Amino acid sequence: MKRVALAALAAVTACTEDVTAPGHCPDFCPSGSISGVDTVLQTVVQRDSAFRGFVRPHEANTLLAATLPGVIDSRAIFRTLPIGDSLVVESSTGAMGAIVGVDSLKLALTITRRDTSAHNLTLVYYRLPLGIDSTTTFGGLGSWTDSLRSLNADSVYALAGHVDALRDSVFVDSTTHQMTVIAKLDSAMAPFVPADSGQVAFGVRVVADSRASIALGSVESGLGPRITWFAEVDSLGKDTVPRSASTGDRFDSFVFDLLSPSVDTTLDSTLAVGGMPVARSIMRFALPRAIRDSVQISRATLILVTARPPEGVPADSFTLAAHGVVADFGAKSPLSADVSRVATTRVHIGVARGDTVRIEMTDILRSWQIDTLAPTALALRQLPEGSEFPEIRFEPSTNTGLGPALHVTYVRRFPFGKP
Amino acid sequence: MTRPVVAAVLAAVLLTAAPPDRLTAQDSQFSVRGLGVPGRWESVRARTAAGAFGPFDPRSSVADVSLADALQLTATAVEATTYRRAEIGGTQDDLRSSRFPFMGLAGPVTRRVVVGGGFATYLDRTYSIVTRDSQMLRGAYASYTDRIGNDGAVADLRFAAAARLASWIAIGAGAHILSGSSRQTAQRVYDDTTFLGTTQTAVVRYDGFGISGSVALDPIPSVRIVGYGRSDNRLRTRLGDTETDRADLPTTLGAALRWSPSPSARVAGTAVWRSWSDAGGFNTTSWSAGAEVGAGPTPLRFGVRGGQLPFGPGTAAPTELGVTLGAGKGFSGNRALVDFGLERLVRKGGGLTETAWTVLVGLTIRP
Repeated sequence: MKRVALAALAAVTACTEDVTAPGHCPDFCPSGSISGVDTVLQTVVQRDSAFRGFVRPHEANTLLAATLPGVIDSRAIFRTLPIGDSLVVESSTGAMGAIVGVDSLKLALTITRRDTSAHNLTLVYYRLPLGIDSTTTFGGLGSWTDSLRSLNADSVYALAGHVDALRDSVFVDSTTHQMTVIAKLDSAMAPFVPADSGQVAFGVRVVADSRASIALGSVESGLGPRITWFAEVDSLGKDTVPRSASTGDRFDSFVFDLLSPSVDTTLDSTLAVGGMPVARSIMRFALPRAIRDSVQISRATLILVTARPPEGVPADSFTLAAHGVVADFGAKSPLSADVSRVATTRVHIGVARGDTVRIEMTDILRSWQIDTLAPTALALRQLPEGSEFPEIRFEPSTNTGLGPALHVTYVRRFPFGKP
Repeated sequence: MTRPVVAAVLAAVLLTAAPPDRLTAQDSQFSVRGLGVPGRWESVRARTAAGAFGPFDPRSSVADVSLADALQLTATAVEATTYRRAEIGGTQDDLRSSRFPFMGLAGPVTRRVVVGGGFATYLDRTYSIVTRDSQMLRGAYASYTDRIGNDGAVADLRFAAAARLASWIAIGAGAHILSGSSRQTAQRVYDDTTFLGTTQTAVVRYDGFGISGSVALDPIPSVRIVGYGRSDNRLRTRLGDTETDRADLPTTLGAALRWSPSPSARVAGTAVWRSWSDAGGFNTTSWSAGAEVGAGPTPLRFGVRGGQLPFGPGTAAPTELGVTLGAGKGFSGNRALVDFGLERLVRKGGGLTETAWTVLVGLTIRP
């Protein structure tokens, strides 16, 4: 009985606490209250500038090919690695035999992005001189009238087994939705030139029933073009034997012709983002001290007004990122690796001039509050850079009323220490 | 000094140097406004007789003169668990808390002089208030929940001495250091999760000083009359190095009468007036009456108390009425005493009715 009584006593006197009750204000509420503020800081961005040239075509992760009448005509170009003038004919001894001819060549391209609403997507192949490099321009490659052949990827993919009579084939990865197009080129289209050690250069153009815009994998992304030579090799003077050799590309890029003055790459006072060569804009924030030091931010939204909308097909919609910088060195400002200092939004093709683009950047503002030594500057950039043609431009801070603004919702410092 | 004296002084220093955080006596919704709810400077023995024996109890710190009866080293501590119900506007909320509101130590330094010390709750500042509201944000009303909390108290660290001048008179005096802190929290959570919640916290510190004096007269052996007074200067509130508030503290005047018709029966009554209007509240008058029956190791105690609380809405002070019942048990030749009891309180004011059951457990050691 004593133990039961002691247990009961311990139970009722155990350390438990619940002191939370609904407040009945103002009689039974503290004199101080939490004060929320919702305001738009129109002049918070006080200096901004745009820079171009962050990613050039031959550095991009994708090779952009587009036929957008009146806007842009872009084609992928690449040069393959040499395979030498001989191939192994006897694997056990490693004996080599000279390549005396080729039967055919298979060229595999990976389409990493495409507009699925563009039907009869067709790749047109061109043979290019081996001298193509990063200085090659669209006009410098001539008239592009002598195509080797074309391949309607949609038609081939619609066939049973996705293979046509010419042994062209098309595969679509069900996970990544990337399309691999393998085209067969005969020896007339792709002759083996011993003096070039099998190097070849090609150009690829894309067309469709409607406006066509695709991105091909590049060597930088590990999805660059690959070729497989099907060669005839001298079998040590006795006969010839078929052998194959696969190789990737040594150089890839894309060339384009801007057809629309609206995609002029010349920078002006607006805040350009994206395009080709890739542009970024740096915005420098002058946050009021009260907001930086004394409040808790519930939500912060960067408001940008479109000065020049992006042009392209819906598949060219891209991610716009406001990226914190480690130090403000203008165009060469290193970007922060901290993911909490990156805010993104999606910019869809169809945005009109005067439309607002909003980026939620609450985490960035909170990080600036925590790290008071961090530069309060952001780089506006496309993600990933160099994978889309469209360029968007926003009104700069010098355009009063339309310049970048910050819509911030915050809670003021609570009046602690008051009765 | 003798060994018990050294032990007493050492124990007093240790006990008063670091009061526990959970010092508050009894949380109350009436502590939300003003400086808080005054604590009780009573041991369980005194409190279970509604505080009527407080001015006479050497284990309590109501009147310093009571130390004169601590003829041996005595240490005591109190644990209180309260189950509280607050009713207002047709709604009721059940709340609970456990506290260690009082600890004391006393012992003689000479045949006539006794010193003591300890800590007690001076003001309770523990509450947590939740409110719902909405605000126009970005063109639409955003609902949110605010939680404003305060967890802490102002402690009264006492150093006191009492002397029996003659068989019929004793005097006592004490110095009081008021010290404490509370962790204050202000939190807002929006229903719309695109707005991040905010939480602000701060540790607010309090300090003040007071002195007290008291006298006990025994006109006849069965009757003792105690008069006591106390003056506290001000309560300063600091947030970091910044003083955020300063409030004058009240003067306390009290009187008590105890009658012991037999060795096994005692009755007592007290009345206390405190000038809380100095601190922006209401002046309060409190009273209590109680009895203790049984001279042995298991006495029975009961009492009733009433009075006012200093802070509340409106133009009238909130009122308080309580009844208590308790007993005790001695062990090891009364070297260890366990007191326990139950207190029922009803507080009313400004439309709020607060009722509470408090389970009290006290431990006294006389080494």
